Amino acid sequence: MKAIEMKGMVKVYPNGTVALRGVDFTVNKGEIHALLGENGAGKTTLMEILYGMIRKTEGEIYVRGERVDGRSPKDSMNLGIGMVHQHFTLIPVFTALQNVVLGIEPVKWGGMLNLEAARGRMEELIEQTGLKVDLDAPVETLSTGEKQRVEILKMLYRNADILILDEPTAVLTPLEVDELFGFLEKMKAEGRTITFITHKLKEVKETADRVTVLRQGKVVDTVDVAKVSMEDLARMMVGREVLFRIEKPSIEAGSPVLIIENLSVLDDRGAEAVKNVCFEVFAGEIFGVAGVEGNGQTELVETITGLREAREGKIVLAGQDVTGTPPDKLYSMGLGHIPEDRHGRGVILDFSVAENSILGLHNRSPFVNRLGAVDEEDVLEWTRKLVDRFNIDIPGMTAPVKNLSGGNQQKLIVGRELMKDPKVVIAAQPTRGLDVAATEYIRSLLIQMRNEGRAVLLVSADLDEVIMLSDRMAVMYEGRFMGSASPKDISRREIGLMMGGLEMKDIQKEKIEGKAK
Amino acid sequence: MSQETGEGRGRIARFISKYSRPLTESAFSILIGVIIGSLLVMATGFSPLIFYRGLISGTFRSQRAFLDMLSYLTPLIMTGMSFAVAARANIFNIGAEGQMYLGALAANVVGYLTLPSVIHQVACLGAAFLAGAAWGFIAGVLKSKRGVNEVVSTIMLNWIAYYSVNYVATYKIYDPTSPWKTNSIQDTAILPFVAKGTSLSVSLLLAIAFAVVVFFVLWKTSLGYEIRAVGLASTAAEYGGIKPSRTIAKAMLIAGGCGGLAGGLEVLGRFWFLDNTLQVIRNRGFDGIAVSLVGRNHPIGIILSAVFFSMLDAGAGSVQIYTSGKGPGGLGVPLELGLAVTGIIIIAVAVPGLVHMIGDLIRKRRGS
Repeated sequence: MKAIEMKGMVKVYPNGTVALRGVDFTVNKGEIHALLGENGAGKTTLMEILYGMIRKTEGEIYVRGERVDGRSPKDSMNLGIGMVHQHFTLIPVFTALQNVVLGIEPVKWGGMLNLEAARGRMEELIEQTGLKVDLDAPVETLSTGEKQRVEILKMLYRNADILILDEPTAVLTPLEVDELFGFLEKMKAEGRTITFITHKLKEVKETADRVTVLRQGKVVDTVDVAKVSMEDLARMMVGREVLFRIEKPSIEAGSPVLIIENLSVLDDRGAEAVKNVCFEVFAGEIFGVAGVEGNGQTELVETITGLREAREGKIVLAGQDVTGTPPDKLYSMGLGHIPEDRHGRGVILDFSVAENSILGLHNRSPFVNRLGAVDEEDVLEWTRKLVDRFNIDIPGMTAPVKNLSGGNQQKLIVGRELMKDPKVVIAAQPTRGLDVAATEYIRSLLIQMRNEGRAVLLVSADLDEVIMLSDRMAVMYEGRFMGSASPKDISRREIGLMMGGLEMKDIQKEKIEGKAK
Repeated sequence: MSQETGEGRGRIARFISKYSRPLTESAFSILIGVIIGSLLVMATGFSPLIFYRGLISGTFRSQRAFLDMLSYLTPLIMTGMSFAVAARANIFNIGAEGQMYLGALAANVVGYLTLPSVIHQVACLGAAFLAGAAWGFIAGVLKSKRGVNEVVSTIMLNWIAYYSVNYVATYKIYDPTSPWKTNSIQDTAILPFVAKGTSLSVSLLLAIAFAVVVFFVLWKTSLGYEIRAVGLASTAAEYGGIKPSRTIAKAMLIAGGCGGLAGGLEVLGRFWFLDNTLQVIRNRGFDGIAVSLVGRNHPIGIILSAVFFSMLDAGAGSVQIYTSGKGPGGLGVPLELGLAVTGIIIIAVAVPGLVHMIGDLIRKRRGS
């Protein structure tokens, strides 16, 4: 039986962009259906039309065989359709319970809020689904994974049996991803229908029954996941072969350019986030730091890049002690920083491409003269070089950066840092949220930096990325390094154990003892 | 050569496309305000046509009226600039009023010195700038070092400034022959009027020149780059090696200086003294907030917006006189009606912001 059927969907936005060009999309009842495609393929548009958030231009929509057109999200909820958006729609200061009942609050005495009536039902739901959430905690105090659980509970509270999730794993840690997929399996076993949007092939392979691949607003194909390989999916998604193995010539590593000695750092709440960490990064190598997010990686990067104070320890950059040196000074000493928070730090969204291309260099010649006046010709010249060299697709050099796609914004950031000719590059989550083509390109740039003899510190929550790119890697857990080695010398299982808090020496001891037995 | 003109044309086209939208929006809003105002005028039995002719006559009935209207631009442009510079650093500076008081006092006091002309005016304005800048800087430092909300601190600083100037004017530099005011400044410090019988002095030219300087600082210098970067995204600015706290203090320094100049220019170019309760310049600092908001916190927009406010101000007063004998009962439009209609028009001009919000909502709904 078909839970959802969409026929000939066309969407033309008011500005003339064609997002969907005649898409047929069918989801069977009781299956997990993945909607796969690159950024801008039309996945979210299709799902938002289904949910009634935006209007279709043409096409027919059937839910459980019945034609339903021109609905609002409220009508969709009444039809049993629920959607979890990529960006959550929760009120931060409200508790989880208050958020769940928002819009359909139970009342007594003709108007008094009766939260307790909802509580029973919610506790039941939590019991059934295993989605543990503190109902009385304000949502702003919850982790991202917990917030997502609140969103899912909100759907279930409204009796949704067709669940739509828009890139549900983009914001989750690996552990939370596993939990989420476990939950989706459970929902499927109960007979619910699930559709999720993703651009990660692994997730499709591991979780979905069927997959529909979208490319540039058209359906490439809908197939049984069991019958295709990851390579097939990748080819369908990008329309060409994708490099899964990156060519990495072996080169001789040079001297240590970045030395971290016994570094300890406090987080914003004053708790110790980085605990006595030591490592070195050599010229011509990529040193990767893996680990579940929130284990001190952010604080470590911020301290090395001059954005956070060190509590103890020493940072040596190119032979000089730079502990406590402000960012602009570090940049002039040869540091490049690709920040984790692209929109919060890497670019200023309302600034133009040209203005962003000199962020961090805006006080240097030739961009400003001694009186502080900006030389626009030089800035534009520089921007032109940057855009050409890194194939950045821009509407114009004075266009605000918010009009660029995520991939092009990241190319701008990485390119800008590379144009500084740095000795050391700190790359934090460099490919997060990017489509396959952009990811591939950014990774190739990191390899190129290494080949040029720069020292690269790569901090990423994407374990595959760390293993693929690093010459040596470490695993961070609760502010400490659990161990470091060449990715060739340790297994995924060992890395997984370290990410879970076991030290490498203990794991190896266990291994030796195991062999002895 | 041909390429150069091509670039030049592109630049002009860009300029037009950049500024035409806010201008059309504002013009359209004024039209709506005028229409709603008409309804109110009609409800009281007057002809809107005559009413608006009266409103316009406030500016255009004579050359003198026109020059007087222009003379009010000076303080509005400068206090508007005070708000705008701070707003670019994401600071809500409502301290232009106090900055203006201190600037006026400083110019007044330095105006007593014996100095040759030109040097004397420069010295007075320099003092006005510094006094205002110091006052703005206090709020800036409180904000960046101690996290004190600038709205609270600037309100308090406004009152401190008011009573301090009030005290000095009343007890220290009062004019013995008419103690309600301060001693007038030396002739060498006066900014001359452009014509006899008008209150428009060359101070307006200076105000426009300062607006150009502010424009240059904000968009053509690295300091302006830093101020705008901090205002738009302080964490990104920090990443770029900019210290947000230091930049906020600098922005408040410039903003305060503009506020101080508002007072200085008024003393040098119009009154030559202060009354001890500061009635002559009172509220110009608060007017500047509205002027800047309608001018989208942009120096050019502020000049246009100041003209608009100044015309409404002149019109509200003149409409009563102009309409007398032309309405029912032979009496003119009451002054209150003039004020009410200009109020409606001002509210209408503030609407584009709201329209943007609603437009965003509709676009989201349709998906864009």
